[in-house]
Amino acid sequence: MKTTILKPFGGGLLALAVALATQSAQAASEAEKIIQDNCLACHSEQGESQWSRISHQRKTPEGWLMTIARMQVMHGLKISDEDRRTLVKYLADRQGLAPSETEGARYALERRLNTSESFDSQNFTEMCARCHSGARVMLQRRPASEWEHLVHFHLGQWPTTEFQALARDRDWLDLALNKMVPELAETLPMDSAAWEQWQQQAEAPVAGEWTLAGHMPGKGAFNARMSVTSAQGEDEYSLTLTGQYADGSALKGKGQAVVYTGYEWRANVEIDGQVMRQVFALKEGQLSGRMFLRDKDEVGADVVAARDAAGVSHILALQPAYIKAGSEADITIVGSGLSGLPVLGKGVDVIEVISESSSLIKVRARAAGDASGVMTPSVGSTEGGRFAVYDRIASVKVVPEFAVARVGGNGGSTPKVEARFEAEAWAAGADGKSGTADDYRIGMVPATWSVAPFDEVAEADRDVHFSGRMNSATGVFTPAAAGPNPERRMMTNNAGNLKVQATVQDGADTHSAEGQMIVTVQRWNNPPIP
Amino acid sequence: MDKKRLSSLMPAAALVLGTALSGSVLAKGPALEEGHEYMVVANYPNNMHVIDLQSDSLYKSCELPDAFGPGVTQMAPDGKTAYILNNHYEDIYGVNLDNCEVTFHAAMSLQQNERTKAIFSFAISADGKELYAVQNPTMLNRDHYRVQPSRLAVYDTSAGLNAKPVRTFPSPRQVTVMQTGEDGTLYMAGAEIYKVDVKTGDVDVAIPSRSWQRPLYAPPDVLNAWPIQSPSKDFTILYTTAKFQDETYNLDTADWIYGFMNVNLETGETQTTDFGPITEIYFSGILSPKDPNIVYGVLNRLAKYDIEKKELVAAAELDHSYYCIASNHEGSKIYLAGTFNDVAVYDADTLEKLGNIPLPGGDMAISTSQVFIR
Repeated sequence: MKTTILKPFGGGLLALAVALATQSAQAASEAEKIIQDNCLACHSEQGESQWSRISHQRKTPEGWLMTIARMQVMHGLKISDEDRRTLVKYLADRQGLAPSETEGARYALERRLNTSESFDSQNFTEMCARCHSGARVMLQRRPASEWEHLVHFHLGQWPTTEFQALARDRDWLDLALNKMVPELAETLPMDSAAWEQWQQQAEAPVAGEWTLAGHMPGKGAFNARMSVTSAQGEDEYSLTLTGQYADGSALKGKGQAVVYTGYEWRANVEIDGQVMRQVFALKEGQLSGRMFLRDKDEVGADVVAARDAAGVSHILALQPAYIKAGSEADITIVGSGLSGLPVLGKGVDVIEVISESSSLIKVRARAAGDASGVMTPSVGSTEGGRFAVYDRIASVKVVPEFAVARVGGNGGSTPKVEARFEAEAWAAGADGKSGTADDYRIGMVPATWSVAPFDEVAEADRDVHFSGRMNSATGVFTPAAAGPNPERRMMTNNAGNLKVQATVQDGADTHSAEGQMIVTVQRWNNPPIP
Repeated sequence: MDKKRLSSLMPAAALVLGTALSGSVLAKGPALEEGHEYMVVANYPNNMHVIDLQSDSLYKSCELPDAFGPGVTQMAPDGKTAYILNNHYEDIYGVNLDNCEVTFHAAMSLQQNERTKAIFSFAISADGKELYAVQNPTMLNRDHYRVQPSRLAVYDTSAGLNAKPVRTFPSPRQVTVMQTGEDGTLYMAGAEIYKVDVKTGDVDVAIPSRSWQRPLYAPPDVLNAWPIQSPSKDFTILYTTAKFQDETYNLDTADWIYGFMNVNLETGETQTTDFGPITEIYFSGILSPKDPNIVYGVLNRLAKYDIEKKELVAAAELDHSYYCIASNHEGSKIYLAGTFNDVAVYDADTLEKLGNIPLPGGDMAISTSQVFIR
């Protein structure tokens, strides 16, 4: 991996760079020794630092973790957690994916389990994404011979694969070997220009001071400063996080991070006694991705972050990101290297700068009665962020439109999985008509939440009563306990099919919106990439 | 949800387990009585139960070796030996129900480094002398697997506890349930309903399924995990399909249809017959032994159809899902098994519930229940 490429450091830093490069070479030889000592019972050496199967695949850190875990679970590999971490790092660095190769599939790494996938290839959808996420496949690269091994492994390990619905209606093995293998080898090849180029990239700096802006459904916006310092291992960092939520509550934590493949930031941060996992991608001096509770990953936030660097300035977010025409509000501009006059947009006056730092500018703003539209704010010469000015809410959407909650607990091994909803307000745009091309998104607004039977079956089975409870203020749905319920028809689980209803008040106007939620049984098999 | 009520189930479960322990005292138990009608079914953790159908009560329970699953059973024609596919689809055992002794055992894997599963796919010859299994082997090589072609293996049922095939033939893939005809023909459900000459291994199509040519019909979907040996000697396989209105093949206006393919195992006569619209799913179905115009299906309800009229004539709500259906020889009672550990009994005419037969042990899961006369 490119960690061995020296960065164009100045003289004083050269010694550090050499030290890092040496450290990297040490890590590689340590990993290779672990492979030699643990993997050669099954894998063959194929020249220097090359092994059968292992050296012919590229994956994300989570992908390599799943591979090694499978070797432990299915093939009797005994390995310490520490050695496994060393191997994941070595393999993800040496045989990872270029950033562009993960685009469109990062939702799986970020544990956005309500994502509804859709692929152009019907074969891919029915042959691969029928049992697991398509993203799990999209996040791998192999030559045809390795995709072929994967087909044999699948049918050999799960022999009923060819007997299931959408398999028993076709000559499954022939289709898998003779259609899917060439299709996958072509669309997800081992050798790619993107990966070649990525390996030549100079390493981006990580240590330093960062500003984070985020939004957590059920809790709202937050911002924080993150201080990142180099730790002992290769590409390992310590970090502290200090910030606050929009409601004024504090956000404080500390943890450790590892950067894989030069850009895959993974951190565990302890916040209020709970571990939050950060799955971010580092790109052009910014981190973006999702931060979620490690042990309850439906609770999470979208996050963007920028690193302080001389002469560089970013606007990451405005909190709140909208204002009603003819009203006044406190607005916080979150960014890095902020300096100069804050401007929110046409028709919006900054009437007072309440507080000011290079990462946060808090202003009192007043929007004119006739102001309207989506603004790109600026601070000094830096433009960025998004700020909506609206006169009235024209429509509301429930986000996500479709979600899955899962029963759990009750003495079982698997906890409940909540569903969390938000109400997204839209303005009608210049034509004053909702549902036309010039509609624009205002942002997430407070709503009153409820659930209702989705259909007659749900009504007859009293799903609303049995499946769980919606918090009317937060939009957080907590499902009921797991297990057969003797009170239900046919002793069934507390599953349900519910309408999710949001009511939003905008002055004298009341808006309603509807989504759907399936409350279903536990996800028993829950690997890092779903 | 009321947590207390749910956890109050736990003592009930413990009670059932307690029954299981005292039930195992019956192991080896009394021999079966000649001429009596029984039902056999398996459940977790390692039980094979014999139910007396005169009294609709548990007659005895035998302990099985190795791991449970899937618990597919086939009765020998003498009404004495029950064969079961178990140990994670990898072994077939023959159990003498008179004394619970295992008299036959065949591992589906035939060589070292081979892992082989039979997916519900075995049958006994009409004379009881041979056992047929379609096997799906995979070679577990050092750093990779290789799926091998499926094969039909023929065993001599007198081969004992280390039975090896006396003949093997190539088999189509994706074969599930199988039955044998009186004339020795082996019928197997797969992409088609095949008929196989067990002497030569020649495979022919008895009933076209995936390749059926029924004008305006979509190809059928066929799920079959329960090789039910019906009193009427019918090998019945349910299918679902869509029938289009016209050559535009518009799925939105198509009729969704349930039907069955059937082989009369006495005559070899075959049929493909629609019996009603799809309103719910059935995991297994059976033709009435006393009225060939009646078919029953079960999953979340027990349903009864008039085949000629293509009409649902009765349906019974169930306490919970049941997977596997059986009928007594007279055709007067329907037995529902699979899932949980109770067999439900229904009047075949009225679908009135007659009772439950609780079983020691755990979940029957997808085990096959078989009604037989000793």
